[in-house]
Formats: sequence, structure tokens, C-alpha cells
Amino acid sequence: MRSNSKAFLVALMLCAAPLLAQKDIAGEWDNRFDEDFLERIPGPDIGDYLGIPINAAARRHAESWDASLLTLPEHQCKPHPSDYGIRGPAQMRVWKEVDTVTQQLIAYHTHIFWQAPERVIWMDGRPHPPDYAPHTWQGFSTGKWEGDVLTITTTHLKTGWIRRNGIPRSEKAVITEHWVRHGKYLTVATIVNDPAYLSEPFIRTTDFVQNPDQQIPAYPCEAVDEIDRPQGSVPHHLPGTNPFLKEFSQRFGVPEQAATGGAETMYPEYRQKMKTMPAPAKAAK
Amino acid sequence: MKLGIVLGLVAAVAFAQAPPRPQPRPQGRAGASVDLTGYWVSVITEDWRWRMVTPVKGDAASVPINAKGRAVVDAWDPAKDEAAGAQCKAYGAPALLRNPTRLHITWADDMTLKIEADNGTQTRLLHFGGTVPAGEAPSWQGYSSARWEASANAGSDGGLGFILGGQRATPRSRTMEVTTTNLREGYLRKNGVPYSAKTTLTEYFDRFSEPASASSPAAEWFTVLTMVNDPEYLATSYVITSDFRREPDGSKFNPTPCSAR
Repeated sequence: MRSNSKAFLVALMLCAAPLLAQKDIAGEWDNRFDEDFLERIPGPDIGDYLGIPINAAARRHAESWDASLLTLPEHQCKPHPSDYGIRGPAQMRVWKEVDTVTQQLIAYHTHIFWQAPERVIWMDGRPHPPDYAPHTWQGFSTGKWEGDVLTITTTHLKTGWIRRNGIPRSEKAVITEHWVRHGKYLTVATIVNDPAYLSEPFIRTTDFVQNPDQQIPAYPCEAVDEIDRPQGSVPHHLPGTNPFLKEFSQRFGVPEQAATGGAETMYPEYRQKMKTMPAPAKAAK
Repeated sequence: MKLGIVLGLVAAVAFAQAPPRPQPRPQGRAGASVDLTGYWVSVITEDWRWRMVTPVKGDAASVPINAKGRAVVDAWDPAKDEAAGAQCKAYGAPALLRNPTRLHITWADDMTLKIEADNGTQTRLLHFGGTVPAGEAPSWQGYSSARWEASANAGSDGGLGFILGGQRATPRSRTMEVTTTNLREGYLRKNGVPYSAKTTLTEYFDRFSEPASASSPAAEWFTVLTMVNDPEYLATSYVITSDFRREPDGSKFNPTPCSAR
């Protein structure tokens, strides 16, 4: 009895030690789509690269992209990469993995509705793997608390996308996220550094609202042959042959040069430059 | 009996280690845990087509307007606004930081943070500890009350966690929370998507620092989570976040007047 009591005392005193975690982000989170709704749900227009600091290589990649690519069986059930996933239909669950003995936080896990990807954000201080380690849709993420902000660094991503109209993000990219909770709202600021396709860091912010009663539906996906094609055929546009690239600027009156994007389109002074550009040709009826 | 003694000791130890109740945080300049002062530029990577150019009449995509708001959108007439001297309707506090703009943020005094925006030449004053003065007329920027956000970890409120002190380390929040009322009716977007004088605007300002990487220099950012609650024209709250990067100086800060078009 005496030894049991001592053990109980020691256990309670250990409990009294403060743990090293901050605001809790675990729970059920639902998207807010009050920004970029048309891009995020129905989908972006072909040829709309506005506000993205792409370089010439990224632009060439996007101009050769054909939406029919997504009908290929091997593309039908792929999830969004972790740097894009929260931008899509992303009802999200976040839960903690805690060491059962020490009660220290080991990792956060996330599950997202669309294509049901699950991601691990390691919180135990482990290093990132070497460059030659496998690259995956969710990548390798480590997190640390900076005050009450959870800062996450992700590497080892497969080549993915920044906008779902062919704007790529390379496997060399390093993603930094800042997760900030204010009451029932969670904001994720995502900063993409990509030496292959971006000339400057690309930032965007995504908002969630807490929904404790949320039940994320299952997302079964089965790849099928949607279109009969010759073996090995991959939908694409050769340089200079994509007939759809100007439709966006013609439809919305945005100068064609502006629609091709680039870092300068992110800044306020670009509005003055656009005034010197020719108006887009009227779309043919 | 022995167990009772042990438990008594446990309780004594536990209470001795119970965390002190948090002290009220100093407000204003003295309570700042982040520095928001300086020159900042909005980085327009979201909603570009509704921010960098004036959207076409009737386009209220992404904004949760109700039927009454839709009627205002459909009736938008910039000439009428110009005739009424209301060219600044799209530069009020609920829209100002969503516009493409540069900001100059300074402490006007120890309890007032001043935000000057060059786009529309507008000034917001964020009052720490202030309340709307009686009789003050509604204005484009309204009256903003600011505070450094209390930590979200309020503790276990007297539960076992409070007694044992087994509480997570509570950081000092780096967030500035701003509530704005007493607004004059205006536009969330330049093409007449409205907010009413009944609007309450809530904002959270957060600061981040990015170290230099192989492909980019170090950078400092702030984001502002904006929640517009308007019982008149919105079916639900309008929630967006806008992003700003620190600039080295004010050489690109270029005040321009409001434009209704």
C-alpha cells in the first residue's frame, strides 16, 4: 500500500509539469468558401494565371495542359497534394497522436473529405528524411509551435499543382504553413517556395469554421475507362496549339498579357500597368 | 489512514503548484508582442478578378448576400455614387484591407494604432481600450476597438487541471483583435456588393516571419482574418483573410483618391 501511494504521489507530481503544446487545433473543421469560390469548387478557367508568381517554365506547363488528362484512369482517384488539399472540398478532421506513457504530443493527423487523404504532421522533433526518400502526395511534414501559431514545414511532395488548370508545383518545393485558431475559426496561411516554377514565394490563406457535429462522408473512388483511347495516349496541347488560352481574358475583359500571370500581377501597381495594355479581342460568337 | 495522509500531501503539493490566475495583459503599445508598424503591401493572390479590376455589375461571387443585398448589387450605379460624393463607398473598413493597397502603420499614441492606406487615402484608428464616443457620426472607417487577444487557453476553470497545474504552457497571444462598428453603409467590392450601417466588423491580425531559403529572401508577413457580420445584407457572416508583406521603406506608398469605378 505504501509503495502504491508513493507511486500515486509521484504520478500526480509528474502530471503537474506543464506540457509543451499550445492552442488546440484538433477537431472537426468545415471549409469557408468566401474567397476564390469559383476557382476552388467549379474550377478555374483555362488560361487564368492571375496573381501567381509563375515563371516561363510553369506557364509552358500550363499552356500544354489538357483537362482531359483527368479522365485517364491513373489520374481519376489521385488526391490533392497536401499544399492544395485544404483549398478544395476539404471538410477536415484533425486529431492528436499522444504517447500513451509520457502523454507528450507525437503528431497531428488530418483527414480530408475529397479523395480521403490522410496526413501526418510530426511534432516530436524528428528531422526530415534525406532528399532521396520517397515523395508522396502528402509529403513529409514537421510542426512546431511558435507562440500560439503552429508552423509546419513540408518537403518530399510529388509534383502537384497550385491551380487546377495546369499551373504546376514541383517536387523541389518547400511548403510553410501557419495554422492559427481564433475561437471557432481556423486560418491556414500556406507559403509555397518552388525554385522550379515560381519566381517568388506564393502565399494564400484558407479559412475553416469549427463544426463539432460534422460527419465526413466516405470517399470511395474507382478508376474506370471513361474514354477509349489508343494505348499510351496522354491528352495535351503542343506549344502554340492550345485554342482555349484566350477565352478567359476575352470573357472577363482582362488583358491577355495580364492573364498569363507572373509575380508582378500580385501587386497593387499592376493595375496601372494594365491600363497601358490592349483590351482583349471580343470572343467570337 | 496512511492513504489519507498521502492524499493530503498530494493535495498540498498540487495546490502549491496550481498556476496563478492570468494577469490582465497590458494593452496598447506596452502590450504588443508583435510589431505591426512599418510599410506593408497587399499581395493579391486570391479573388484577383474581384479586387484588381472592378468586377462587372451583378457579380457577387463568393459573398453570401441575401435577397436584399442582391437588389443593391443589381442597382449599382457608380455615377449616382459620384453625384452623391460617395466615391469612397468601397474604401470603408470592411473592404479597405481587401483592396490592392499599401499600408503605413504607426502608433499615433500609446493606445492608438494608425493604419494609413494609400489606395483611397484612408486612415483607420484602432483604439485600445476605447469605446465609440457618444454622438459620433457613422463614417467609412467607423470606430475600431482593439485589444491584444487573450490566450485561447483559459485553463480548466477550476477543474483538476487547474488544481494539479497539468496545463499546457500558455503562450502570450501574438494576435491583435479589432472590432469595428459605427460604419457608414458601403461596398465590400467596387461593383456595389453592399454592407450596411448595422455591420459589425471583427478582425484578427497575425504576424509571421519566413527565414531566407535557397529560392527566396527572408520575409515578414501579416494576415488579417476579416469577419463581416451584417444582418441587413448578408445571409451569414462573410469570412476572408488578406495577406500583407513588409516593405523595406515607403518609396512605393502612393496615396491616390477614391474612385467609384
